[in-house]
Amino acid sequence: MQTANCGIEMNFTEITNERFGEKYYKLHHKSGLDIIICPKKDFNSSYALIGTHFGSINSKFIHNGKKVTVPDGTAHYLEHKLFESEEGDAFTLYAKTGASANAYTSFDVTCYLFSCTDKFDESLEILFDLIQSPYFTPETVAKEQGIIGQEIKMYQDSPEWKVTMNLLQALYHNHPINIDIAGTVETIAEITPEILYECYNSYYNLNNMVLCIVGNVDPERVIEIADNKLKINEPVHTESIFPDEPYEVKQSYTEQKLPVAVPLFALGFKEKAPKSFAGTKELICTSIILKAFAGSGSSLYRRLLDEKLINSSFGTEYMEGCGYRTVIFEGESRDPEKAAEIIKEEVIKLHQSGVSEQDLEIARRSVYGEIAYSFDSPSAIASEVINAEFTGRKISEASSIIAEITLSDINERLKDQLDTGNCCLSVIKGID
Amino acid sequence: MSDFVRNEICEGVAFNSIVDTRFKISRISASLAAPLNKKTAAANALLSCVLTRSCKKFPDFTALSRELDALYGASLYPSVRRFGDFQVITISAAGLDDRYSLDGESVSSQLTELLCSILFEPNLKDGLFNEDDVEQERRQLIENIDAEFNDKRTYAINRCIETMCRNEPFSVGRFGSREDVTALTQESIFNSWKQLLDNSRVELAMLGSADPENAYQGFKKYFADKPRKTGGTTTVVKDIPEIKRITETEEISQSKLVMGFRAAYPENKTQLVANSLMSAILGGTPTSKLFTNVREKQSLCYYCASRVDNSKGIMLIDSGVEIKNIEKTEEAVMEQLRLLKNGCITDDELNSAKLAIKNAYISSLDSLGALQSFYINGILLDKAMSPLEAAAIVDDISKDQITELAKQIKLDTVFSLIGN
Repeated sequence: MQTANCGIEMNFTEITNERFGEKYYKLHHKSGLDIIICPKKDFNSSYALIGTHFGSINSKFIHNGKKVTVPDGTAHYLEHKLFESEEGDAFTLYAKTGASANAYTSFDVTCYLFSCTDKFDESLEILFDLIQSPYFTPETVAKEQGIIGQEIKMYQDSPEWKVTMNLLQALYHNHPINIDIAGTVETIAEITPEILYECYNSYYNLNNMVLCIVGNVDPERVIEIADNKLKINEPVHTESIFPDEPYEVKQSYTEQKLPVAVPLFALGFKEKAPKSFAGTKELICTSIILKAFAGSGSSLYRRLLDEKLINSSFGTEYMEGCGYRTVIFEGESRDPEKAAEIIKEEVIKLHQSGVSEQDLEIARRSVYGEIAYSFDSPSAIASEVINAEFTGRKISEASSIIAEITLSDINERLKDQLDTGNCCLSVIKGID
Repeated sequence: MSDFVRNEICEGVAFNSIVDTRFKISRISASLAAPLNKKTAAANALLSCVLTRSCKKFPDFTALSRELDALYGASLYPSVRRFGDFQVITISAAGLDDRYSLDGESVSSQLTELLCSILFEPNLKDGLFNEDDVEQERRQLIENIDAEFNDKRTYAINRCIETMCRNEPFSVGRFGSREDVTALTQESIFNSWKQLLDNSRVELAMLGSADPENAYQGFKKYFADKPRKTGGTTTVVKDIPEIKRITETEEISQSKLVMGFRAAYPENKTQLVANSLMSAILGGTPTSKLFTNVREKQSLCYYCASRVDNSKGIMLIDSGVEIKNIEKTEEAVMEQLRLLKNGCITDDELNSAKLAIKNAYISSLDSLGALQSFYINGILLDKAMSPLEAAAIVDDISKDQITELAKQIKLDTVFSLIGN
């Protein structure tokens, strides 16, 4: 990977991923917004994603010296309401350009996006207006209660979502990762226009946001539009507050009954988590460990299959962010307790033997392939870029790091992960 | 990107390819379409799982998985779907483009070889599939069928279709029934393999930067002397003597309402595109009639969407609502449909739906997976066209054409899943 100024007047920094032939142009715009463009000249579509480092876990913060606590689900509620401005809603405006628009809120970011094959300039203008024209009144806020209330109830009925949420509630004593992103019907009833403005002013400052565009676009044209549309934002100081979280899990088992025909499980191993993000190398080591240990070619996978304890829904996930880190094994199983017991047994063996050289090489190639495939998807590139910017990781460094990972890197990393004395099993069982 | 190229290998078997160097992945697939039938559906579905579990060259599941991992995480997977009154079994392989392999090996030729081996040289013992493989995959397929109940939106949609089409092949689930899968014998799975390869309609596809010649020759070797007659039609129902209503109760917080309609079965490419456009106007976009009225104005739901199935000539509208709002939502949906039938379509509604549909068609040019589905679906309906051709057709569709298609929409079945 190389970094260089590309020499055009716009002061872009050019970042090149030589291995995959990808280029990024990065610029800190005078408005405060960081803009990263990944041109794909031979594509028919363009994809734009703008994000703020504000998600459901940022419910307590200090803004201009004032301590603020907002109701659970506020970040997500704000995402819905930002689509409306005094002139109408953004969907109506996008309808005139043909762009397909959407937005999402996760535990730690809120993002707004569109993808289009025509009228890119107009769509980008709509996106810039959308994030710069908050308009919240008691009436517009009240109207959303019914809609989001139904979204919350839809998730309450989703066994896949509940098995993970219940796990996080059982793993974490204090960290707000244990609270549902959308909140509850009761907490969203407390949301007022004032609360939404408070969050908007604290987190929707352009200095706290990143725009990534992937596709058939001209970087200089993007900057022209930004120059015209973006107001210069003075940086604000907003500090999220996270409570101290003990290392130990809160509970080692949690269970809920829902109408399911096959039980679901999520087995989470809580880790030491500083109030910072994991680095790219740590993330790649974890991907390799999980692929070698629990991928479909592993002896663990085979044992669970042979004992009829998992099916093709089985998989692993690493959830990490500010103050939380957890490896999760999840899937459907007729006997979740037995499946968890075997996973723990095999984890103990893994800690004794470490990952083998041969398993590392196979997993390295597999994870390398996954990174390569992600470059085919504009949405995957854009969310990776936004993630990197918010977490301090370098864009596109994964493909070069992966080639250099050694067995001792892997086994060193393993020492901090998969503590069988600090895990929890979450189960969704059918109603008797 | 090259043009789409189609070579007929023999009657009923064709090889389709697009050479496209923009991507880091290449895809190769075999789609086998057979009439949907309760007797064979379960066997075909289980066969697709057994085939991708092992083969003669890699007779063990773990060995095959490790081979795929070492091949840069290449994927090999079956998919089974209902397409009109047909069951389509697709075995796909996807992997890294040769240009990006770490030590210069050709991934695409290995993938082609692997897919041919999976299809033509399965892991047989004394003329039957490996028993362990069959039992493992049978158990997993049954869990798959059971798990369709876990997601209530999917479950409600499946129940609506099952009820609406109860006297038609389309009511057979894509995997067959749990009972049928349980009862399958080794012989029936072996027969299904022979039948599918030798008698079904076969659409092969290769997309990516690799030269498709290699794959073409590999498939040709097997299929060249095996022509087959591939008839079969899809039942299209136009008259509904009585609306069917079914209500089930479960312990859920949100009730589901699924309305099944009979719609036009497209006779040509224009009607196919127009049917999709009509559904977009009604409930396919955030400015559609259903989204703006049922969600935004009345705050009844988070989603209320329509989608037309051109392979069968039906349309489904579904929503998740409070139990007390089920009737109100049904009325609100019928009111928007009535407006559509009466030609109450504003220029804005028509134009924004046209732009949205065109955006979707043209965007599919930027994804090999989307391109593959687009072409194969068109081919299976005997209405093959490029995404650009489809986008051009959109421009010429008039409000009257939409209204004409809307008038053919008739409510057939209402399925409600309510909380208690």
